[in-house]
Amino acid sequence: MTFDEIKELIQVVKDSGVAELEVQRGENRVWIKRAAGLTQEVVVPAASAAPAVFGPAAPFAPAPGPHAAPAPAPAAGGQPIDVTSDPSLELVKSPIVGTFYDASAPAAPPFVKIGDTIQPGQILCVIESMKLMNEIEAEVSGVIVAKLVDNAKPVEYGQALFAVRPS
Amino acid sequence: MAFDLERVRARYPGREILWRESTDSTMLDAARLTAPGSVVVAGEQTAGQGRFGRRWHSERDAGLYVSILLRPTGVTPTLTLALGLAAAEAIASAAGVACDLRWPNDVLIGERKCAGVLVQLGDAAAIAGIGVNVNQVAFPADIATLATSLRIATGCEQSREELLIELLGAVDRHLELIEYRGPGAILDLFASSSSYVRGRRVTVDMDGASVRGTADGLDPSGFLWLRCDDGSRRLILSGGVRPA
Repeated sequence: MTFDEIKELIQVVKDSGVAELEVQRGENRVWIKRAAGLTQEVVVPAASAAPAVFGPAAPFAPAPGPHAAPAPAPAAGGQPIDVTSDPSLELVKSPIVGTFYDASAPAAPPFVKIGDTIQPGQILCVIESMKLMNEIEAEVSGVIVAKLVDNAKPVEYGQALFAVRPS
Repeated sequence: MAFDLERVRARYPGREILWRESTDSTMLDAARLTAPGSVVVAGEQTAGQGRFGRRWHSERDAGLYVSILLRPTGVTPTLTLALGLAAAEAIASAAGVACDLRWPNDVLIGERKCAGVLVQLGDAAAIAGIGVNVNQVAFPADIATLATSLRIATGCEQSREELLIELLGAVDRHLELIEYRGPGAILDLFASSSSYVRGRRVTVDMDGASVRGTADGLDPSGFLWLRCDDGSRRLILSGGVRPA
């Protein structure tokens, strides 16, 4: 892999908002992770007044192999929010390696949206792993303040999927 | 022909096996059951569930549409490979048809799908849904080139009851295999039963794009390695694998 190719990969990480990227080409493997100081904005519901900053990628368990980490929620001009260090927020984490789906079907509405009030037992998303469809349910009541993974993107074990402000 | 449920129950005394003449989905019926091992089988599904919102074509009295309530503890993705193996074994025993397995668990006769497996895991239950095309003689136009049935493959009508008897036994055996010998035993079996594990040219839908490459074995969790044509090596986590 050439220096220019590595620079291109760094640019991809910067442009896409992906938190972490690992690429293997032949015998070469490159791992790029966003620095701790970099921030990504996430949407904050209008009802929430708490300003914060989204930090680096949520902590992962060791990955089973090289693939790109998912991107955080897209910026939408709201107040930035730090979902990893704000103790008032609960993180909903993936219990399994798989693919994140925010709806039951491509044309279906998402299970939840930012700003939705949720109740324990409510389905928030599905993580598919080899046709094992794992329904992720809310464990607390509260408000969804951030969606941290894009639809149909891979997720790791323990990766944060949503941030919830408990009620 | 009416389904002879008592013939199946006689082979599995003490096991809850429910029949639905017509239901929206056996997966929804099974979610209301409580005893692990309980089974719901239907003559027809009006909203049979496939992967990610797709529908499973469930023609009345032609296929085997069954859901099995599993113990939710200890469920791993390897389970779905085991269920595909079980379905292929049951088809071989009941109908004498040798099947291929397309990762992770599509059961194929030649290149066409004759059975599909899905597992839904919630906090309270894990439910395996298995659909087998048994006596269909034709399929809707949108899947006509992708699907086949045991009847089409063998040229004669097949017993759904005998297939269910074989299927329940095969599922039990494969679950015991995971329990007593670990997931590795399933991975070895799958690798030796599927032409899609290594060396097969495939296209995979992932991240909103189609990626072409060559299957390059299973990782220890059962995920499929793909050696992509661009030189990278990627791990396939879900489905969407098809011949290139």
